[in-house]
Amino acid sequence: MLRVVAVAAAALALAGPAAACVHPKTSLSYLEGQIMCPTCHTTLDMSEAPAAQQIKAQISRRIAECWSAKQIETELVGNFGQGILAAPPHKGFDLLAWWLPLGGVLAGALLLAVGVWRWSRTHEPEPPETEHETDPETERRLDELLARLD
Amino acid sequence: MTRTLKLTGQGLALVAVAGLLGLLVWRLTHQTHPPKIGGPAPNFALRRIEGTGKLNLASLRGKPVVINFWASWCVPCKGEAKMLEQAWKQYRSQGVVFVGVDYHDVTSDARTFLSHHGVTYPTVQDGSGMIGDKYGLTGVPETYFVDRRGRLVGTHIIGTITNQVSAFRSGIRAALDQ
Repeated sequence: MLRVVAVAAAALALAGPAAACVHPKTSLSYLEGQIMCPTCHTTLDMSEAPAAQQIKAQISRRIAECWSAKQIETELVGNFGQGILAAPPHKGFDLLAWWLPLGGVLAGALLLAVGVWRWSRTHEPEPPETEHETDPETERRLDELLARLD
Repeated sequence: MTRTLKLTGQGLALVAVAGLLGLLVWRLTHQTHPPKIGGPAPNFALRRIEGTGKLNLASLRGKPVVINFWASWCVPCKGEAKMLEQAWKQYRSQGVVFVGVDYHDVTSDARTFLSHHGVTYPTVQDGSGMIGDKYGLTGVPETYFVDRRGRLVGTHIIGTITNQVSAFRSGIRAALDQ
C-alpha cells in the first residue's frame, strides 16, 4: 500500500510541471516580436542583451502558467511602462500613431490621383486640324495663280 | 480650379514643414541633460520593491543618501551587493541612507535578487528607466551621492564600487560633510 502511495506521489510530482499548462494560450516567438528590450530598444527577438534574456525567461514562465498574451503584456506594462510594447495601444492619444500613417497614405493617394487627373487633362491629344482659313491676300494670290493656269 | 489646388498643396506642404519644425524644437527643448556634481539630485517617487507605497527622494532631505542603480540581470551588480549591504550597516548609525534603484527589471527577479544577496536597505523600482534617464545613466551599476541639501556630491561611480572603493568612501564622506 505504501509503495503504491509513494509511486503515485512520485508520478504526480513528475507530472506537475508538465501539467501546469497543457494548452498554452500564446507563444514566446509571438511575444518576442511584440515586446521591446528596455535597454537596447529593439524587439526581444532581435536582442541577446541580459535584460532581454531575463524578460524572455519571465514570458516563458508565464506561458507555462497558461497566461494569455494580453495578461503577460499587461504585467510587463505594469513593470516597465508602456514603452515595453513594440506597438502603441489602440486607445487615447496613442491612436494617432495608428491613424496618422493611414491618413498620410490616403492623402498621398488622393494627391497622386489629382495629379494624374490634371496631367491627363493637359496631355489630351489635340483635335485633328480642321480646314485652315486663309487670309484674303493669300486667297487673292491663289485666285490669280489659278487664273493664270487657266 | 488649378490655382486653388496649387494653393492647397502649398498650404499642406507648409503645414507639414511647420509640424516637423515644431517636433524638432520640442525635442531640443525637452532633452534631458545628466545632472552635474554640485547641482540638485533629480527627484523621484518610485514604488518600493519590498513593502508597499512609494519612496520619495525629497523626503530624505536632511540626510546623506547613497543611490545605487542596479538590476538583477546585471552580473557586476551581484558582485557589489554584499559590499553595499555592509556599507549600509556601517554608515546608517551616522544617518546615511542607502537607496537601491532597480533599473529595467522584472519585479519577481528583483525580489529574488534582494533576498538572495540579503539586501535590507530600501529599494525602489524604475521599470521604465525614466529616473535612470534623468540621472544620465549609461548602464548598471552606477552610484551617486547626495548631501543633506539634496545636491549631488563626490564622484559619480560608473561600474562596481568594489573596483572603486576609495571613490565610494570619499563619496559617502562628501555626503556626510556637506
